[in-house]
Amino acid sequence: MTVVLASLVEGKELLQTVVAATVAGLGVTFAFSVAIWGFGRSVELGTKDRRLAAGAAAAIGTLALLLVLAAIVFGIVVMTHK
Amino acid sequence: MSSDIILVIVVGTALAFDFTNGFHDTANVVATSISTGAARPQVAIAFASLLNFIGAFISISVAATVANDVVDAAVITPTIVFAGLIGAIAWNLLTWYFGLPSSSSHALIGGVVGSAVAASGFDVIIAEGLVGKVLVPALVAPLLAFLVAGLAIGIAYRVIGHQRPGVVTRGYRYGQVISGGLLALAHGTNDAQKTMGVITLALIANGTLGAESDPPTWVIVASALAIALGTYSGGWRIIKTTGTRIIKMDAAQGFTAQGSGAAVILASTHFGFPLSTTHVINGGIMGAGAAKRLSAVRWGVAGNIVTAWILTLPAAAAIGAVTYGVTQLFGSGAAGPIVVTLAALALVVAAFVRRAQRGSPLPVTEGSGR
Repeated sequence: MTVVLASLVEGKELLQTVVAATVAGLGVTFAFSVAIWGFGRSVELGTKDRRLAAGAAAAIGTLALLLVLAAIVFGIVVMTHK
Repeated sequence: MSSDIILVIVVGTALAFDFTNGFHDTANVVATSISTGAARPQVAIAFASLLNFIGAFISISVAATVANDVVDAAVITPTIVFAGLIGAIAWNLLTWYFGLPSSSSHALIGGVVGSAVAASGFDVIIAEGLVGKVLVPALVAPLLAFLVAGLAIGIAYRVIGHQRPGVVTRGYRYGQVISGGLLALAHGTNDAQKTMGVITLALIANGTLGAESDPPTWVIVASALAIALGTYSGGWRIIKTTGTRIIKMDAAQGFTAQGSGAAVILASTHFGFPLSTTHVINGGIMGAGAAKRLSAVRWGVAGNIVTAWILTLPAAAAIGAVTYGVTQLFGSGAAGPIVVTLAALALVVAAFVRRAQRGSPLPVTEGSGR
C-alpha cells in the first residue's frame, strides 16, 4: 500500500513546494517584521534626539523592506518562467 | 451541430462556475484585510478582482493538470464535463447559501470525476494524477499553511518585541496591502486555471483541440474576466465567517495568514498542483490564531468548515453523477444539457431571491464602506 501510494505521489515536487513555501512565508514575515521594527525604532530614537542610531534603524528598515519587495518580484518571475 | 450546441453550453457553464468560484472565494482573499481594518471592503474587493484578473495570465501548469491528469481525456465527452460543472456549481451555491467556505476546486474536480465515472466506470480515473496532484496536495497544503503561519506569527511577535502597538498595527496593515494583493494574485493564478483546464478538456473532447493541448488565448482571457467579475461581486456571507468567526485577528496575524497562504498557493501553482485556496487561507488563519493561543480559534466553526471540506469531493461527485444520469434520460444530444441548464438557472434564481428576502448577512456598520 505504502509503495503504491509512494509511486502515485510526486514526492520531489511536493517536497520542493513545502520547502519553497516555508522559506518564502517565514523569510518574508521576518524581513517585513524587521522593517516595522526598524522604522518604529527610528521614530522612537529620533524623538530622543539620537539621530545616528535613528538613521541606522531606518536604514535597516529600508533594507528589510527592499528585501521583501525583491522576494515578491523574484517569486512572480519564477512563476512566469515555468 | 448537436455537439457544438453542447460545447457552447459547457463553455457558458464553465464560465458561470468560474464566476461562482470568484464570488465564493472573495472571502478567502479579502476577509482578513477587512476584519483587521487594513482596507475598506469595496476597495479590498476591487483590488482583489484586478489582481485575480492579472493572476490568471501568469501560469497554465494547473490548467494542464486539470485537462490531462485527472480523468482520461480520450473517453470524456462535453456532456460529461457539463454534468461535472453542474455538480461543482450546485455544491458551491449550497455552501454559499449556508455561509461555509468550502473548496471550489475540489467541487470542480469531484464533479468531473463523478460524472466521468457515471458515464464510463472507474477506469476513467487517472489514479496517479488524482492522488499525486490533487488529493495529497489537498491534505498537505492547509497543514503547511497552518504550520508556516504559526511559525511566522511567532517570528513576527519576537522581532517587533516591545514596539509601540500603534506603530506595529499600522505597519502590518500596510503589509496586508502587499500580502492581500499577493493572495489575490495567487488565487487568480491557481483558481482561474481550473476553469481554463475544464474548457480545454471540453474542447479536446469535442475534437476542437488536439490531445494534450494548452488552453487557447480566448479561454485564458474569458476565464480571467469571469473570476474577476465573480470576485468583485463578493460573497459577504463567507467573508463574515472567514474574517471574524474563526478567530479575532490582529493586523500581524492577518499579514502572516495571508503571506503564508500566498506562499503555499504560489509554490503549489508553480508545480501544477490544483489545490484549494479556501483550505490554504483558512489553514493560515487557524495557524496564526492557534500559535498565539489555542483557545483563540473557534474550533466549533473550524469543525464545520472541515466537515464541509470533507463532504465537498464526494458530494460534488454524487451531484455530477446524478446530473449525467439525468442528461442521458433525454438521449445523447443537446436536449439533456439544455433541460438541466434551464432547471439549474431556475434553482439559482430561486436561491438568490430567497437569500435576498432574508436581508444582508453582514451587518452594515458605520464606516464599513458597504
